[in-house]
Amino acid sequence: MVKEIFGPQEIEDGIEELAQSIIANFPDEDVVFVGLRTRGVTLAKRVAATLQKNRHTDYPVGTLDISLYRDDFGHRGREFPSLETSELPFEIDGKRVVLFDEVIYTGRTIRAALEGLIDYGRPARIELAVLVDRGLREIPIQPDYFVLRLDTTALEYVKVRFREDDDQEDSVVLESSKSELEA
Amino acid sequence: MSVEKSRLFRGGRIASAVATEFVPEDVLVDGSGMIIARGKGFEVPTEAEVIDCTGCILVPGMFDVHVHAREPGQEHKETLATCSRAALAGGVTGCVLMPDTSPPVDTGNLVKSVMDLVSEQSLIPMYQAGCLTKGREGKEMAGYSGMAARRVPMLTDADHTVPCPYLMRRCMEYAKDFGVLVTSHCDTPPLSKGGAIHEGLTSYRLGLPGIPAMSQEIGIDRDIRIAQHTAGQLHISQISTAHGLKSVQIAKEEGAAITCEVSPHHLVLTDASIHDYNTHFKFDPPLRPAADVEALVQGFIDGSIDVLACDHAPHTEFEKSSEFISAPFGAAGLETAVLLIFDQFIRRGVFGWNLLIERYSNAPRKLIGQQPTAIREGEKAEFFVFDEEGQTRISSDCMHTKGPVSPFLGETLSGQIRGTTLGSRWYPVG
Amino acid sequence: MSELKPRKDLLDIESLDLSEIEYVLSNAVPFKQLFQRSVKKVPTLRGKTVLNLFYEPSTRTSSSFEVAAHRLSADVTNFTVSSSSVVKGESLLDTIETLQAMRSDYIVIRHKAAGVPGIVAQHTKASVVNAGDGFHAHPTQALLDAMTVREVFPEHQGRRVVIVGDILHSRVARSTSTLFHKLGIEVAYFGPGTLVPAERHDFLRRLMSWEEVFDWKPDVIYLLRVQLERQEGAFFPSIAEYHKMYGLNSLRLDRLRQMGSWLMHPGPVNRGVEITDEAMRYERSLISTQVENGIAVRMAVLHWLKPENGVDS
Repeated sequence: MVKEIFGPQEIEDGIEELAQSIIANFPDEDVVFVGLRTRGVTLAKRVAATLQKNRHTDYPVGTLDISLYRDDFGHRGREFPSLETSELPFEIDGKRVVLFDEVIYTGRTIRAALEGLIDYGRPARIELAVLVDRGLREIPIQPDYFVLRLDTTALEYVKVRFREDDDQEDSVVLESSKSELEA
Repeated sequence: MSVEKSRLFRGGRIASAVATEFVPEDVLVDGSGMIIARGKGFEVPTEAEVIDCTGCILVPGMFDVHVHAREPGQEHKETLATCSRAALAGGVTGCVLMPDTSPPVDTGNLVKSVMDLVSEQSLIPMYQAGCLTKGREGKEMAGYSGMAARRVPMLTDADHTVPCPYLMRRCMEYAKDFGVLVTSHCDTPPLSKGGAIHEGLTSYRLGLPGIPAMSQEIGIDRDIRIAQHTAGQLHISQISTAHGLKSVQIAKEEGAAITCEVSPHHLVLTDASIHDYNTHFKFDPPLRPAADVEALVQGFIDGSIDVLACDHAPHTEFEKSSEFISAPFGAAGLETAVLLIFDQFIRRGVFGWNLLIERYSNAPRKLIGQQPTAIREGEKAEFFVFDEEGQTRISSDCMHTKGPVSPFLGETLSGQIRGTTLGSRWYPVG
Repeated sequence: MSELKPRKDLLDIESLDLSEIEYVLSNAVPFKQLFQRSVKKVPTLRGKTVLNLFYEPSTRTSSSFEVAAHRLSADVTNFTVSSSSVVKGESLLDTIETLQAMRSDYIVIRHKAAGVPGIVAQHTKASVVNAGDGFHAHPTQALLDAMTVREVFPEHQGRRVVIVGDILHSRVARSTSTLFHKLGIEVAYFGPGTLVPAERHDFLRRLMSWEEVFDWKPDVIYLLRVQLERQEGAFFPSIAEYHKMYGLNSLRLDRLRQMGSWLMHPGPVNRGVEITDEAMRYERSLISTQVENGIAVRMAVLHWLKPENGVDS
């Protein structure tokens, strides 16, 4: 079963909203964006573009690949993560860093990202922005900014699609696997 | 001595060296081990034990001129007793023992002491060969007169060549006076030293030091020249290359008294068969490329190779479980020789049982001056029962040798030896 | 996620398929990037243990593996066994049993006998990385060489590499030439007839002189270390003659410079034998890049292999 939660317009509105609240908090601080590969990077770039349009200010966007920081390395089965490079073309020491990911779920990815980020320097503050918070946290990590909060079960999947990454229109869909439900 | 009952081998077909066809006849062996009747419908004593040979063939017992029984001195690898059981399980009813024991058999007294052990321990006739040089060291001639008096079937330094051509010449000249066959492990030590497998693409791929073909070939050429010069009788052990065989063929055409032997593994495996650094494939001389193997098979068929000899060289699994380069050469062969030749050649129609009987039963016996055996009335019973439709899985558990290392472990070969009869005794397999 | 079969051990190059080679080489790039950070370490192999088992001394390779393992946060035990201390009577399998009891997740092994890493791999659940066995294979050296060539030639297909020197006794030549061939790089051997095996793969051509080398227009000259003791095996008459015939002197270096060829060497070099001091300072030398890439490639290899004694699955 697939259920569309957001379409392209709602996502555009959501990104506008996210940009507003990020800037509303500490408007004058030196801020850099770091997106988690792959869609977190797209989200960060969209927010940066919105702010550029509204405030004529450039917000640098870096990318972070957290494969090497995951805590489930020894548990992987037949998976072979293709590693990507992380590109942080700026210093993060003393900066305000906003970390972007499209969905927050167990919180483990963000934990890994925090560890990875800290290996690049010591930011003044790290905040977290996501499009969807689907609950079911396993680690005490909460987003500072989110657009949508969904009550989900572990048998469901929340998929965010961006035209840049997925070759299709922007969307947020909720999928549930029927067979797994029966099982 | 307990009197054995007579035994009837019924329903089988009889193979021989002279005919390609089998003769469907029964064989009756009396309590003294003699064949007293062969044919159909003869009278059978009521107390005779009947061995049902339906669907099987009866094959004259094989004779192997190249066996390392390891006794005395290396009884952890093999003993005369276990070696003889392995032989019977492989259809082999007699063999020549190599003298590379500890101590090496290089005097008449040592020959006698081993032969005494043989008569106590072995289930089959075994003939102890003597060393060509003292201690197989290739430095001084051994005492041939004492060994000849003990009727050694041949003089050989087993897996050592006599490195000095001068000494080899004198050995051949001197041995000739005693009428004893000289067998040479032809090699050129400076060329083969340190090598582990045939020098070629496989040795390049595996990064193993090679033993070039010319190492054996130059040895063969040298020893043939010495044999021709001294007009002595020379037997070349374990021929492995096409060029080496060519030298033998030319010498034979020239009338030299040269014979040579090949092993089943050199007829069946190539150097490319070596995989995963499996030390069970490590032989001396080494396994050679396909072109050599083809030439050897051809030579086996056309008679330029006289004799099949398995170079039975058992080792413990422990000894073989080391790095390839330091593992010992050789593997157990007595139990697989007939099966391999059947599986690879006879079953595929490359040649018939008659050729195998000629090369592995008749010719080896003639080589050391023995009468060939055959399944006929008035002859001592010496044959085995072979099921062509059966199968044999080669595993260390089923082998009788003490050192069951073999490149064929884990393989299933066509054909099955049901048992071997020698004189009045019947040794069923399995 | 790539479609790869899980692999426990890295024993040689022959058995690798292209997707595996591609996987390791592309993963090595982000690992190398880490070296630019102040914190050069990632926690990927935290809690895992790497046993560095060297039966032949090799400071370079063992340190490279050690640094790679440390940068993945693994614990490293270095175990150098001089051949004199190998106890007689202890078979290889006894040693393996001891190793197995140490419960290492990864065993990096160098041994003077070809095939030993494979035997160890068959008998242990740990992932085994061959760090050089006899004249057989040195797969991580080949991978770092490929990474190095691909950095200077992103379009590496059809590039030409001449490997110069003692091919016969070189596991580097065997592994590197096999890997280059798989990647579509042409390889030629150049060295005395005593040290270039006559029987080799058909794709390996042999060049007979420096003139032929220059005519072939190689993109890379790959010099091998020449063991001084080869002179005793009558492979060539003298070190001086070897240097005269096959060494990279300044005249030959000038020709390379004109062609824009790059220079590689697996180290350690024998100055004055296969290479002169001047050639060591050649601006297109990739020798120190090879060392750096060695760490990145070895990190990628440890990250890729999957021990059997891992947690669940």
